[in-house]
Amino acid sequence: MSATAILVLIINAILVNNFILSRFLGICPFLGVSKKIDTALGMGFAVIFVMGVASVITYALNLLLIKANILYLQTIIFILVIASLIQLVEIIIRRFSPGLYAALGVYLPLITTNCAVLGVAIMNVTLPVPSVGSGLLVAFINGISSGIGFTIAILILAGIREKLQTADIPKIFQGFPITLLIASIMAMGFAAFSGFNIG
Amino acid sequence: MSVALQIIIPLALLTGLALVFSIIIAIFSKKFAVEVNPKIELVENLLSGANCGACGYAGCSAFAKALVEGDATLPSCSATSKESKEEIAKILGSDDIGESTVVIVACNGGNSCQNKYSYQGYGDCASVELLAGGSKACPVGCIGMSKCIMECPHHAIELNEGHAMVKQEACVQCGVCISHCPKKLIKRLPSKAIYYIACSSEDRGKEVRSYCKNGCIGCRICVKNCKENALSFENNLPVFDYDKCTACGVCFEKCPAKCIKKLDI
Repeated sequence: MSATAILVLIINAILVNNFILSRFLGICPFLGVSKKIDTALGMGFAVIFVMGVASVITYALNLLLIKANILYLQTIIFILVIASLIQLVEIIIRRFSPGLYAALGVYLPLITTNCAVLGVAIMNVTLPVPSVGSGLLVAFINGISSGIGFTIAILILAGIREKLQTADIPKIFQGFPITLLIASIMAMGFAAFSGFNIG
Repeated sequence: MSVALQIIIPLALLTGLALVFSIIIAIFSKKFAVEVNPKIELVENLLSGANCGACGYAGCSAFAKALVEGDATLPSCSATSKESKEEIAKILGSDDIGESTVVIVACNGGNSCQNKYSYQGYGDCASVELLAGGSKACPVGCIGMSKCIMECPHHAIELNEGHAMVKQEACVQCGVCISHCPKKLIKRLPSKAIYYIACSSEDRGKEVRSYCKNGCIGCRICVKNCKENALSFENNLPVFDYDKCTACGVCFEKCPAKCIKKLDI
């Protein structure tokens, strides 16, 4: 696997096909935990960890499924892996950072149903970038960089929302409406990256 | 592949995986277990849940934790009812629940008190206070710019003829307003109190009369008429001794300035 291939994978996952802003997956925590930069960062790291580990385990398990010819179990097994990983993350965060645990609240167990995590697992077995092919290492790099892409998007939104607290926003736009507007403008900005011809 | 195998293989795979993951989670949750004192949750459920912050902690759950760990004592919470406090005291094994209190605004002036100047502009009582000590001619008169009303988490204060007044049926005695009044007019009285002096001006009667129609003129009629000697006179203001007061109401009726007020409970 060449260095170019790794770079292509990383840029593809972080910028060109950013999970939130290009694929529109994982919107729930993106809007829910982006009030403060600290909690957004915590959420981002949790997602990076879950995506990275889940990518490796699900890719390996998928090989087993192909061998046993029971590929129809793919979704349910992937969800099983992801749910177990979330449990582990929850236990660890609760032990080492009660503040972050309280701040993330219900959104931490909700990573289980975060479609971005299932999305990265399924994309790994169906060629994330066709020219690079697939493999355990590809899956791992793709998982980690997708998580970083998620973190960057949520951090940008959290940064803007922190500034918004002192901004003079018309009453009807306060709260969620302005957040959705910002998210859509950010998505338009990221659409510019789709010009990269790396497929 | 036989039909039996087609069923058994997925079944075995799924069950096996679930078993492996559950064992890993079980090991982790034992290893990284967080010990939570079950008392904390019990105490938290009994607290008022007002999250007013008057106890000095971030909220009721932080206060519950401090209570159980012995860092805080029950009297520092005023918002919780007496019955709930007794329950909590049982759980904690102490009997110090503190005295229950009422919160009142010790000013009756409002529109009856003259203005030094007319304030036009942004802000609340604190900003007006910065400008020559408030817009009222009375040095301790309620400015009536609603700082306490905005700060009250229970919407228990309202403006009445230009001065703030606590609605006792909504008040939970958390005392958040007390620290926000720039004139220090909001006071905590023992819950025995039925009547209170709704004036805080320590000026002499004649001066008070010159700027406020509702202020205490220092005539001492209330002190003279009290059969229980529950009223004394200090700094040009009558002072209640609520241990002696029988709430007969003589002072309330005789006060010529009508600045002795009755709690509306």
